[in-house]
Amino acid sequence: MGKELLSAAAGETLLLLGNEAIARGALEGGVRFVTCYPGTPSSEVPDTFFRLSQGAPYYFEYSVNEKVALEVGGGAALAGLPTLVTMKHVGVNVAADPLMTLAYVSAPGGLVLLSADDPGCHSSQNEQDNRIYARLGGLPCFEPATAQECKDMARDALLLSRRIENPVLLRTTTRINHVRGPVTVGAMPTTPAEKPFAKDPARFVPLPASARVMHVRLRALLDGLVAEADASPYNVESGAGDVGFIASGVSRNYLADVLEEDGLTGTVRLLELGMTYPLPENRIADFLGSCKKVLIVEELEPVLETEIRALAQARGIAVEICGKSEHLPRLGEFSTANVRQAVRAFLGQPAAVVDTLAVPGDLPRRPPNLCAGCPHRAAYYAVREVYGDTAVYSSDIGCYTLGFLPPFRAADFLLCMGSSISTGAGFARASGKPVVAFIGDSTFFHSGITGLIDAVAYNHDILIVILDNRTTAMTGHQPNPGVDTTIFGDNPNPVDLMGLIRACGVEPVKVNPLNHKATLAALTDLSQKHGPRVLVAEYPCPIHARRVGQAKKTLPARVAGDPVACLAVRDNLACPAFAMVDGVFSINAEQCDGCMFCVQLSPEIKPGKKEAK
Amino acid sequence: MTRSRIFFTGVGGQGTLTATTLLARTALDAGFPVTSGEIHGMAQRGGVVESTLLVGGYKSAVIAPGEADVILGFELLETLRALPMLRRGGFVVGNSESLQPVGVCLGRECYPPLEQVLEIAKGFAARVVMAPCISLAEQAGTAKAANTVLLGAAAACGALPFTLEALARSIEKYLKPKLVEVNLKALALGAGAVAASQAA
Repeated sequence: MGKELLSAAAGETLLLLGNEAIARGALEGGVRFVTCYPGTPSSEVPDTFFRLSQGAPYYFEYSVNEKVALEVGGGAALAGLPTLVTMKHVGVNVAADPLMTLAYVSAPGGLVLLSADDPGCHSSQNEQDNRIYARLGGLPCFEPATAQECKDMARDALLLSRRIENPVLLRTTTRINHVRGPVTVGAMPTTPAEKPFAKDPARFVPLPASARVMHVRLRALLDGLVAEADASPYNVESGAGDVGFIASGVSRNYLADVLEEDGLTGTVRLLELGMTYPLPENRIADFLGSCKKVLIVEELEPVLETEIRALAQARGIAVEICGKSEHLPRLGEFSTANVRQAVRAFLGQPAAVVDTLAVPGDLPRRPPNLCAGCPHRAAYYAVREVYGDTAVYSSDIGCYTLGFLPPFRAADFLLCMGSSISTGAGFARASGKPVVAFIGDSTFFHSGITGLIDAVAYNHDILIVILDNRTTAMTGHQPNPGVDTTIFGDNPNPVDLMGLIRACGVEPVKVNPLNHKATLAALTDLSQKHGPRVLVAEYPCPIHARRVGQAKKTLPARVAGDPVACLAVRDNLACPAFAMVDGVFSINAEQCDGCMFCVQLSPEIKPGKKEAK
Repeated sequence: MTRSRIFFTGVGGQGTLTATTLLARTALDAGFPVTSGEIHGMAQRGGVVESTLLVGGYKSAVIAPGEADVILGFELLETLRALPMLRRGGFVVGNSESLQPVGVCLGRECYPPLEQVLEIAKGFAARVVMAPCISLAEQAGTAKAANTVLLGAAAACGALPFTLEALARSIEKYLKPKLVEVNLKALALGAGAVAASQAA
């Protein structure tokens, strides 16, 4: 999706990814300031703003972490600009401190926080339900279900936020961020009317005395918004009868397909909720009052279910309410299959029999793997050579988390972004065992540096290996503060990683991990020392280097000698370029990136030869 | 109205998502409502890439086991792994060529033979078409067009709710100009593979 996302005129229909649609919606809502920390499944929203940012009517940054993104964005909204801040669900935990007070302080320019949740843990360490943050922080909440709604709700959330001068949560899930569907776009707005900042410390500075007043204002505001939720065009009722269903977010899709395929559309009552907080209490109460029994269909936590049960009790509505405790799971994603079984059980029908093919259970697995030519593979190999199983390996969030797989098995525990140094330090202090912590460059800037400062301050005995591949690779090669190059060219202000570490009180050692001899020597030396130590293993991600035109052309490696004599290299590196052809070990020239690491490990493997002319 | 759930499976880097988007555009241009789903992130690091295209008015972009009218398999092992998604009487159109997962290369696991895939699908699927997509794509000019060979085979055997010609028009309309010719060739070679298997 190129510039047409900016240029498409009202009424045009584009085939958009949910995340691209969110970007267009925010633009239609007049967004002028966008901050983020990338994280799957949210990343294509900021990536779209980044790609379109030259000459565009907004400021954009990949902030150093989610807390900073929300604080920078919060500042922009205080200054009067319509603002979008994006992150994945666990990123909101990082930003939770400013978030919990943001709605007290308010956001005069308008601020939408996108929280991209990940039911089913497709690319995350947990599947927390961030609708609860809307309740905790006091933010109205929208839950889109289609690409079109992604666009429309992003716009309307921003317009609502600007009108009420309070932050709004746009909560998506993986299947919505990564849905692709037709989107009819609306008009791009003219520059919004200015909202110049007028100093008013009692309104904007939450000292205890003013915070108490702010909390009263916020609760009153949210109570007032119930009428807005009741009337929201995103809360739609259909059908007839005395059996009801209430669904929100992506669950609306599964339920609609099941009702249609099973011939139930129109014969039951359906309340679909797109604006879910504040709860549209009167609308739901009316709906409950017209039903004998209601099934509530929502993924993850029984958020609506709990609130609706309470509402029925408070209003004295005699209706049977079913949901998580009866028919639907609290874990993982829904599908038409499990929603169908829930609908049938709720209606007292026998379970549907699904006719499927069985395949052998022992098929070869295809787990994600470090790419061919990935410098992390070389770093892990060298660390393993020095420490083997004697060290405990503390891991972090990034491509390099894949080092937990054999043959490296270089991850013994992991909590969250930036945790490897501090958790490793605590483990080392408690156990006395050697600890090696792995962390990427982006993750170090994100929140690893505070762990390093702590390790220095308390002399924790830990070897920190910063796997610096000069980009944020896992989420799609976004720039971070230390990079030299972005897709737009050189970074004018790179943060000096080595100087930063030095300033924290450690003299770092830098190696090119693809130079095995040097890396091994540095690691051997560091393994004999104590206290906090830092090895920076720096080599660019080959995919990123190709994308920015900095990759050196190298020929693939080849097995030139005895293939049996170099099988240990195959077993110890497990590079995706390795293959067994008719039972003989070889290197696939198409797959090989030419990193030449394996060449250093066996005399049987040689650099490729130029083809004879 | 034609309704169809199409399940795509392959390995990261094979162009599965590009093929999905191309079919989605073709379906939209043919006047069908579409919704499509993909998963990004960790799956792309050499892992399995699955995507979906639902044509004709479905709201959900997810396909559950037993629901797929069509499985488009860009890699043989992944086609086999995806067979439980197929509904009885659906189509399987797959690449008969393989990409070894690391466990197979390391000799820890055995790659299933083509015959096993055909054996399992036979009698359940209405039609199973397997074509050597990578070889045919190389014949067209680049191995990268293997995804288009597969689409050609799928359209030619009637698995898709639109014609081979409609797909050719989409290639001309939506691919970069320098990629059009090789992909049209790849499309034709895929269609030809179906004709050859019918003649056999």
